[in-house]
Amino acid sequence: MTPLHHIGEFLRNLLLLVPLGVVRLLFLMLLVGLLVWVLRLPNSETAPEGSSKPFENLKIWAALALGIQILIYSIL
Amino acid sequence: MTGSLSTVDYLVLLLYLAGTLGLGLWIGRRIKTGRDYFLAGKSLPWWAVGMSLVATDIGGTDIIGVGGAAYSFGLSVGNFEWIGCVPAMIVGAFIFIPIFWRLGIYTIPEYMERRFNVGARAALATCWLIFMACNLGIMLYASAKMMHVLFGWNEAACILYTAGMVGVYTLAGGLAAVVYTDVIQCAVMIGGCLLALVIGLSDLGGIGGMLEKIREVEAAQGVTAGERTSLILPVDTQSPFPWTGILFGLALVLSPAYWIGNQAIVQRSLGAESEFAAKASYIWGALLKNLIPVIVAVPGLIALAKFPELKDGDQAFPMLVSELFPIGLKGLFLAAFIAALMSSVDSYLNAAATIVANDFYKRFRNPEASDAHMLFVGRTVTAILLVWAILFAFQVANMEGKGIYAIFQTLMAFFQGPALALLLTGLLWRRANGKGAFIGFLGGVAVAVGLFALSNESVTAALGWEPLFQVPEPFLYFSVWAFLVSITLIVVISLATPPEPEEKIRNLVWRGREEKDDPTS
Repeated sequence: MTPLHHIGEFLRNLLLLVPLGVVRLLFLMLLVGLLVWVLRLPNSETAPEGSSKPFENLKIWAALALGIQILIYSIL
Repeated sequence: MTGSLSTVDYLVLLLYLAGTLGLGLWIGRRIKTGRDYFLAGKSLPWWAVGMSLVATDIGGTDIIGVGGAAYSFGLSVGNFEWIGCVPAMIVGAFIFIPIFWRLGIYTIPEYMERRFNVGARAALATCWLIFMACNLGIMLYASAKMMHVLFGWNEAACILYTAGMVGVYTLAGGLAAVVYTDVIQCAVMIGGCLLALVIGLSDLGGIGGMLEKIREVEAAQGVTAGERTSLILPVDTQSPFPWTGILFGLALVLSPAYWIGNQAIVQRSLGAESEFAAKASYIWGALLKNLIPVIVAVPGLIALAKFPELKDGDQAFPMLVSELFPIGLKGLFLAAFIAALMSSVDSYLNAAATIVANDFYKRFRNPEASDAHMLFVGRTVTAILLVWAILFAFQVANMEGKGIYAIFQTLMAFFQGPALALLLTGLLWRRANGKGAFIGFLGGVAVAVGLFALSNESVTAALGWEPLFQVPEPFLYFSVWAFLVSITLIVVISLATPPEPEEKIRNLVWRGREEKDDPTS
């Protein structure tokens, strides 16, 4: 056994203590955090120049993709 | 499945192959320069690039393999297409891809030289080239082997026919041919797999019927109820997908490294017709990615519910098709399998040729090469790589049983983590410099190789140690540690040495909203 084995075993035992409910929350927080970041992006970065049509704004489609992910990781 | 294929099935397959080849050759008539060949003349629409991203990512062996993994380990394999793709594609769309597109670069290593130095470019280009060149042979051989098992076709003939088909249209039309044929391949692939899902579910009486059968199988096999349909598995799971590897290794390291740093993936967005199209292609790809586990992994679960006694998970998808598909539709699944195979091989072939031509030939041998000459170089390199891939595929066939698969599955994990460290610091941290990047990258690769050695049974047995990792195939963990070591080295060395001049890194680093809004910046 090397010191790396001891460190690895310590980390593994530590992570075993984390309940799966908390892990699920961690996955969801990652996705929700990303969704908030996407929604806060300025329209100049997410829509073509001079466009006023809402469906041309990529923010909506990115939010939809993330929304589906949040739903999937909430139930599966 | 061989015996159950009819003339109609073969006709469906031939129709698909003829359509793909014809489209590729037709596009090839319009290719006049190296820029046309490598970047499709920056003319690609977002919808084509997005579908090509998805088709490139899913290989022929993946369709069978993901279904097989779902059969053996459950839905957790879907993480590779969900959290292992969608978040990274969205971050890539809004931060990384627009910068690469605006710079007009041909390759990711080219960005590394502009941002850091030629050493960082050469190191990354070498790693990618070795991986891609070997992977081409592996993909050809693995798919040929699968076709032999599934359909009884001759392995050598499969290698030669696939390489020949892909080679002809990739040589003729470059990136444009690859992307537009990928569109057909993506549609055929999704159609074929969707059919398996619909027919399979209706046979089981819907989702409720499938879940009920799976619970019975779980009880019979002594598996915790619900594990086969859960995405998040505990650290001590018997499957190769514990949540720690999925979150830290896949979602936070391998996935962003793949979607923003893999030349075979990023190159098609560099050929988009506008910066907006480049961004939109990644978002469209992310939306499509939400569908992939449903049509590829869920059929594995359907097979588990219908045939729980299979010894090899890779037989799950073909068994389902063989038992449930009517004549004609089996040909569509066969076309879907071959479409997935071709869309990956053509992309890696084109990307490897782009790296050789631009990062080695033009950079070191002939910097003054004209755009017309680069077209000739691109086609020559593509032909050489194709011959190499065929020879390597036959070599892999001879080396089977000597651990070649395990080595190459792990090869990408060796440098993906360090490559991500380079990309993140290069694009997001102005203080990162060339010295830090070069040493950090090599240090990270060395750590990944060291961890691989310490997990390899033959090495640890010789040293009298236990393997370092307890999960089977711990490549997700190599990449996490290699990334952490790499980024630490880059930060420490960059802070200890002079920064890059401001005029050198202008436009090469992402600027946050506040800074962009400031007219004086």
